[in-house]
Amino acid sequence: MKKLRLYYEEYNKGPFALLWKHFTQQHFAFFGFITLLLLLLLALLTPFLTPHDPYLQNSQLLLVPPSWQNSGLVSYPLGTDDLGRDLMSRLMLGTSYTFGLAILAVLGSLIVGVILGALSGMSKGVKSSVFNHLLDLALTIPSLLLAIVIVAVLGPGLLNTIWAIMLALLPQFVHGVRNAIQQQLKQDYVTAYRLDGASQRQLLLFVIFPNIWEQLVLMFTMALSTAVLDVAALGFLSIGAQSPTAEWGSMIADSLDSIYLAPWTVALPGLMIFITVLAVNLVGDGIRVAMKKRREN
Amino acid sequence: MMFHYLLRRLFLLGFVFVALTIFAFSLGYLFPGDVLGNFTGLRNISPAEEIVLRQQLGLDQSYWQQYIYFNQRILDGNWALSFSSQQNVLDEIINVMPATLELASYALLLSLIVGIPLGIIAAVRKDKWLDKLISGLALVGYSIPIFWWALLLIMVFSLTLGWLPTSGRLSVLYEIPTMSGFMLPDILLSQVPYREEALVDAIRHLLLPAVVLATYPTTVMIRFTRESMLDVLEQNYIKTARAKGLTRLQVLYTHGLRNALLPVTRQVGLQFSTLITLAMITEVIFSWPGIGSWLIDGIYQRNFPAIQGGLLVVSSLVIAVNMFTEILHTMLNPLARKF
Repeated sequence: MKKLRLYYEEYNKGPFALLWKHFTQQHFAFFGFITLLLLLLLALLTPFLTPHDPYLQNSQLLLVPPSWQNSGLVSYPLGTDDLGRDLMSRLMLGTSYTFGLAILAVLGSLIVGVILGALSGMSKGVKSSVFNHLLDLALTIPSLLLAIVIVAVLGPGLLNTIWAIMLALLPQFVHGVRNAIQQQLKQDYVTAYRLDGASQRQLLLFVIFPNIWEQLVLMFTMALSTAVLDVAALGFLSIGAQSPTAEWGSMIADSLDSIYLAPWTVALPGLMIFITVLAVNLVGDGIRVAMKKRREN
Repeated sequence: MMFHYLLRRLFLLGFVFVALTIFAFSLGYLFPGDVLGNFTGLRNISPAEEIVLRQQLGLDQSYWQQYIYFNQRILDGNWALSFSSQQNVLDEIINVMPATLELASYALLLSLIVGIPLGIIAAVRKDKWLDKLISGLALVGYSIPIFWWALLLIMVFSLTLGWLPTSGRLSVLYEIPTMSGFMLPDILLSQVPYREEALVDAIRHLLLPAVVLATYPTTVMIRFTRESMLDVLEQNYIKTARAKGLTRLQVLYTHGLRNALLPVTRQVGLQFSTLITLAMITEVIFSWPGIGSWLIDGIYQRNFPAIQGGLLVVSSLVIAVNMFTEILHTMLNPLARKF
């Protein structure tokens, strides 16, 4: 339904400022945004911040409970694991593994996806159709299965599974970018630019991209939550990150044996994954709602 | 028109299967180790056997010829042997597949039964506290890592309270003859004297894995149904129907639901691939003897023929479900028909 737009103010905010305004009005989403920034900071600065060496085993301090319990130690705020390693340091380092690598995987996938999506979105006919169907095939292979196949070929390891995650995320980016571009191509202002003599490349760079980048951000957040969960799940199954690595998923797998004695060694890494994914999803939902509100007003 | 559409879908299906088999075939060369071993699954091949096998697989001929031979073996059911058990991979998959299908279908059913009504309620009570509660819970369920959630439930319901078992499909006390491979129907069909006890036991085993597996699809259903319903409720025809004097419930039922639930059929197909991934993780945690734990064992043991076979079967299943729901969606929704 078309609504009449009235502009009361002399100075109207730009689209980004409007989006930001609508975004910050949602407190949960803003809170998620702050959490994400903190996590990002932690992922980047973790080598300078960890109170202990995350891999240093201390046989004197096995399974020390968190410091809020009576037998806990202040110098080990979140306790130690079954090899006497400081859990807090390991969790902090885990941020750069689970969260940081997930961001890198999504970024890599996004870049390739934007290139392929732009190629497919700007082209027509058989070429575009064949390409799409090949992508549909990739979309149907479950991500874990893809990871298993890649690990079988390349051998287990965190970096090898990153390839699998990138590959599994790629189709949704290509589809999303392609749909966004084709939606823009129908707009009147694109036709106007075309009549003005803009080439395909100019159209893409100066007309379409500035109008779809918010959708790209939205796709990025959605993919990021999947990527974090995938990295952790593969670590948990010991297909991805291998045992001593302080990756949250593999930390849970390592501590399964001591789940009776030291439930915190399982609960805390899981909580970190949960908080991270929740923050990402809050931001994603926030952007979506903000975009919708901006469209309506 | 519809015929033309189905023909095109069928053509696409064929194309996708060709691409899939090419991928599976190339894995025989990509996997580490001997090509002959990867394709046949045999270990310790003697030189005399090797010559015969090479002849059979056409390894001295072109890749195309080998690919055709590969397809013939697939179609004949003459699949490679599993490295670990030296059994035909296809037979093993047929053995473990029903357990996965059973778990996944109950979880999917649960997610539809719980998710769709909650999504509708949330949409109708938009921005009221009930909507906020449902949406909040859905967001939490959407963000929780499934293996951690499974461990939490095991800790509460199995270790602390001791209500539910943690692994397997049925207690070893009961022996049920395998007919379909699906546990609940098998128990109902069997003639054993302890039928009812076995049924209760099977349901107790099923409960935790099904709830764990259903969590993610349920939240997806809630969120998706809510969005779709909100879109529909904004349409002009809803206002028209209200203006004509229909009650809210009538409008909701005759105009709202039908239009809002159409995209949901499509969503089921799109989520199926994720559901299989989650089912694999769930199976590992609950030692559920399905294709997921079988495949994960396969990767631990470097059982390449098993991975190749599992890839073929699981991907075919997902492709088939995707195609089926898409055709169903097109048949139900005239707007989606782009003939």
